[in-house]
Amino acid sequence: MLRVSHDVDEASTDVDLSALVGADRDSSGVSAGSELIAFAEAALGDDATTIRAARDSVKEALGTAAMIDAAGIIANFQRMVRIADGTGIPLDPTVAAMTADLRAQLGINQYGSAGNTPTPTLIGRVLAKVAGPFLPRLLKARKRRPAS
Amino acid sequence: MSDTLFNYADPQVAEPVGIELQAIRPDIAHSHRQIWRQLARPGCWWSGPERTAIAQESRNARHCPACVERKSALSPDAPTGPHNATTDLPDVVVDTVHRITTDPSRLSAAWLSRINEEGLTTEAYVELLGIIVAVISIDGFHRALGLPLEPLPAAESGEASGYRPPGAKDSGAWVPTVQPEDAGPNESDLYPGGRTGNVISAMSLVPDAVRMLITLSDAHYIPMHCVPVPGDNGGRALTRSQIELIAGRVSSISECFY
Repeated sequence: MLRVSHDVDEASTDVDLSALVGADRDSSGVSAGSELIAFAEAALGDDATTIRAARDSVKEALGTAAMIDAAGIIANFQRMVRIADGTGIPLDPTVAAMTADLRAQLGINQYGSAGNTPTPTLIGRVLAKVAGPFLPRLLKARKRRPAS
Repeated sequence: MSDTLFNYADPQVAEPVGIELQAIRPDIAHSHRQIWRQLARPGCWWSGPERTAIAQESRNARHCPACVERKSALSPDAPTGPHNATTDLPDVVVDTVHRITTDPSRLSAAWLSRINEEGLTTEAYVELLGIIVAVISIDGFHRALGLPLEPLPAAESGEASGYRPPGAKDSGAWVPTVQPEDAGPNESDLYPGGRTGNVISAMSLVPDAVRMLITLSDAHYIPMHCVPVPGDNGGRALTRSQIELIAGRVSSISECFY
């Protein structure tokens, strides 16, 4: 979703997903990505001073409303990771097909919970190879909801 | 329950951490109040006092020396000292709550089978998980903004309902789930549009756990109908790619494959 959303939001730059797994924070290609990653990393820790500094950086770069929304996203995914890890759900098949190469490239197949998603069959792997590149385009083709 | 709870406009709460009054969206405060109300009530498998005790143990776990010891051990099954429990929940429940809170990436199907054998049913486990993740995310929001944690609600009396959705079945997770095609009348509100992702249906063995998840996700993340649409930021002050960058980094730090 980051890749396809980036194409919509900031089509003039490339997104580098290695920033997600701890590579150079500045390399994501997302506006204020460095500040947002630093805030996420700080907020998962316990050091109030570090959290405040990271929070202030986001506020300076993007404003108060964005800083608060960022805190909400951080909170949300502290919940979602535990739901996934606590119930052993497999990846949804479409996502699995779209992200096979990416998961290998980023090394997230090494995470313990990767075992919850069955290894695709030969036919599944072939289908993913063929259809995978088109799935992001299909997603992007979805119309944005009308502004309210 | 009065609206003095989660009153983010209170100058005594917001000013010391440098957040402008009224800057926190009202729907966030509303969702937090809603969860606190649900938390206090009897659920399907736990009473109100048990539910608030589970929430308290989740808070205790963040400062638990035994959990620190376990997190650094090669195996999550390595013996540790006792947890810093302050409730009268059974040991297996306390350990489960602490483990989900502090070491979630090393949970396993084998571990869940073991705690089933120790008397914690899968149904009760899913409800417990729903409580923990709700409290962790609300507390996480407060920590990220430097706000004090909201006191837990006073528990309401009453019996757990014992409701188990008839459509729950094995769908490839460790716990049975209700898929959209199996949702009965009591679960018909869970999946608008008749489709869902595995992470939404994951806790559907206890439908109210999914409702709590949706309430919080709509406020913390983006409304559910915006999720599948690339670039749709649900009206937030961040772009969708900024939102997904944060989501991906939090998941990666937590070593969450999903």
